Amino acid sequence: MEDKPIVECTGVKFSYPGRQEAALNGVDFCVRRGEFVSIIGHNGSGKSTLARLINGLLVADSGTVNVMGLDVSDDKNAVEVRRHVGMVFQNPDNQMVASIVEDDVAFGPENLGVEREEIGRRIDWALNAVGMEKYRLSTPTRLSGGQKQRIAVAGVLAIKPDILILDESTAMLDPKGRREVIDVVRRLNREEGMTIILITHFMEEALLADRTIVMNRGEIALSGAPEEIFESGDALETFNLSLPRISVICRNLRAAGMDIKDVLRPEELAEEIIKNMNNRGIYAGQSPSFAAKEGLAGGEWDIDIKDLSFVYSKKSPFATKALDGVTLHISEGEFFGIIGHTGSGKSTLVQHLNALIKLPQAQKHFHKKKAKKGRPAPIYPSIKIGKYDLADKKCDFKSLRADVGMVFQYPEYQLFAETVFDDVAFGLKNFNKKLPPEEIERAVKDSLEVVGLDYAELKDKSPFDLSGGQKRRVAIAGVIVTRPDILILDEPAAGLDPKGKREIMELLHKLHREWCKTVIIVSHDMDEIADNCTMAAVISEGKVFACDIPAKLFSRESELLALGLDVPLTEKISSCLKKGGFIVNSDCTVSDFSDKVAGIYTGVGNA
Amino acid sequence: MLNDVTFGQFYPVDSFVHKLDPRCKLLLLITYIVMIFVADNFYSLAACALVLIIAIAFSRVPVGRVLRSVKGIIFILILTSVLQLFFHSGDHLLWQWGIIKIYREGIIFAIFLVLRLFFLVMASSVLTLTTTPVALTDGIESLLKPLKFIRFPVHELALIMSIALRFIPTLIDETNRIIAAQKARGADFESGNIFKRIKAIVPILIPLLISAFRRAEELGDAMDARCYAGSKNRTKFKKLHFGLRDLAAAFLYGALIAGVILLNIYASQIFPQIYEIIRLSR
Repeated sequence: MEDKPIVECTGVKFSYPGRQEAALNGVDFCVRRGEFVSIIGHNGSGKSTLARLINGLLVADSGTVNVMGLDVSDDKNAVEVRRHVGMVFQNPDNQMVASIVEDDVAFGPENLGVEREEIGRRIDWALNAVGMEKYRLSTPTRLSGGQKQRIAVAGVLAIKPDILILDESTAMLDPKGRREVIDVVRRLNREEGMTIILITHFMEEALLADRTIVMNRGEIALSGAPEEIFESGDALETFNLSLPRISVICRNLRAAGMDIKDVLRPEELAEEIIKNMNNRGIYAGQSPSFAAKEGLAGGEWDIDIKDLSFVYSKKSPFATKALDGVTLHISEGEFFGIIGHTGSGKSTLVQHLNALIKLPQAQKHFHKKKAKKGRPAPIYPSIKIGKYDLADKKCDFKSLRADVGMVFQYPEYQLFAETVFDDVAFGLKNFNKKLPPEEIERAVKDSLEVVGLDYAELKDKSPFDLSGGQKRRVAIAGVIVTRPDILILDEPAAGLDPKGKREIMELLHKLHREWCKTVIIVSHDMDEIADNCTMAAVISEGKVFACDIPAKLFSRESELLALGLDVPLTEKISSCLKKGGFIVNSDCTVSDFSDKVAGIYTGVGNA
Repeated sequence: MLNDVTFGQFYPVDSFVHKLDPRCKLLLLITYIVMIFVADNFYSLAACALVLIIAIAFSRVPVGRVLRSVKGIIFILILTSVLQLFFHSGDHLLWQWGIIKIYREGIIFAIFLVLRLFFLVMASSVLTLTTTPVALTDGIESLLKPLKFIRFPVHELALIMSIALRFIPTLIDETNRIIAAQKARGADFESGNIFKRIKAIVPILIPLLISAFRRAEELGDAMDARCYAGSKNRTKFKKLHFGLRDLAAAFLYGALIAGVILLNIYASQIFPQIYEIIRLSR
């Protein structure tokens, strides 16, 4: 290994034109050949800016950036630098140039003037490296997020870079896609000796690196082995980051008097716990089972779905069955989670709930088919939400939509009005055209305040001038302004940094307590579901795989893994502990799990 | 709502027509369109129809799928045929109401015109259904190559086209998503007069434009990061090859050209009585 760093930044400063605060404020940063570095930091901490400086998409105001001995700020080196530094971006859709996988992968080498035969070899190699060789002639738009992002990685690999930068490349993927991409990256690092710089919001991913760098307000706040970084604990919170869940459990257990080292993998933690138990002479144990909360009795706003099936692009070669006989009951008052990976049909399911997709019987040209002899009578789906029967053509769909609020994925991308006030009032005015202005004003004010925004300060601002987190809050306010009884949110925390995620979930609990009877979130983050939901359903391949309280749901670990889904961290540790003779019956939240383990240790809750 | 855009939608099967060189297909399409307009009587137009039928049969694309492409121009078809009915004069007056006169020649000509447009659109969609957008732009780029000598930016144009085609499905998805989201907020796109409807589009259009700009910016960065620096010293992975198939197809079109010209000349001698009726007066 060479001793000279492959990337070397010294005293780098950078600010975006028109902005006062510097994006980078004197950064010194080195990467050695073959190293795997992860960079974490809150939104706007400067981590993406740093990445762009390394491959010359941006040029530093002062200080120097050197890549393999080349000065990045020199325009003549631009192509040469990018030949060495490959970069994968966040949104897989926006990186694809061509409509066919192999053409897209060929784009980089074509730009470099590589010979035809060599391009062919590189496509083979790159697609192989990301495990996508079967999709060589496919259309990227028809692939899953994880697959698309692997194609993007292949497109960069075909340039044969020495350094691979991933700029939040996993942020928009589901856990399965994220695992796929991360596995590819780790393999490239181990087997090809490629230098990796991974920028991420997911603490669990950051742990996989040789070295982790924490950025805060344009400066490098911490740098070191992941174990060291996450030992620092509270410091991370001040940088608007969160501890990985496993570190939280370690600390909780230490606080309970156990001698637990900071470890980063569930198996290691289970070992630590068992060692502790054994040292105390405890060789087996069981925590009291938690009071299994019965499902809610239900009420006026129950949701009842029966036999719901749906096929996209019927009668075309691309026909895909999105839903296949879904039957599901959601009681009033639940904080309900719908789990499933991309393409499982969960988004299609929730779009039925406020009749964005109407049931076949409710469509204009529907005629009941006559039952044919010898064939079973056709089964028609039914959905009932409170007083609304969605199978009825005469159902008042407009008022249904006011009562069942729906927040889409990345709702900030749907903002359009000139002022925040107008945008939030949009729905209100649509649903009730005759509402007097003072009532509109009051409703808008209330909903902006409940999402934690300052009405007076923001109402006349353009929504496009707000920060990402504020935009999302405005978008949510624009839905809850009609005071829906049921609020549905598709991936409400997607793409936010850890602090933003925590705040959004807190907001949803507040809304659940004060504004809406039922909150339904669609998510693929198991930890999010375990921590927040009272009830959850797993959707897989258009079917309801299971519907139960999270603790029971997640106890079926092996089945969930077989579906390509994950289980919460606590469940992973539990199942390791079980093998060691300790049965922890927790409700899958971090705090309850820590309490239960500590209970066995101190003998308090030992049955 | 926006899922029926056949244009630019490649139909993925393996067929004779799919395998033809895109340049060949483009040239043949141009030939075909010229022939449709050279054909000046129903006999030669029938020859054109025959070639179209052969092309569709060899493409293995379901006929319904090809026909669907005509849906978009039905309004234009009806409009032009109605105009022809009213404004075409001739010798055989069939019906009169005030100043509106309908002649037999008008009806014949309207049918003729509709068939021409119909074949034109069908033939174009056979091309787009059997040719990937990438192959298509490659073909166009290759055919336009001579223009490079007059400094026409052929490569840039081709790249712009292929990116546009690549993003059409993405933007359609996005549009559908925005429509759904605004509908969930009570937006109504289906009722009201034309001004109300135009106004109702604003909440779709603005987010869509903003997103398109954002995407363009990100794509630009991604292309830069992948060493894009214009057409200089650029190689091409895909090379186009004229093959035996293309030769065979060219022969078919040779036959078409000959057939249309011969039928144009000798039309009046084939079933003269029928020809007299279906003749298009000049």
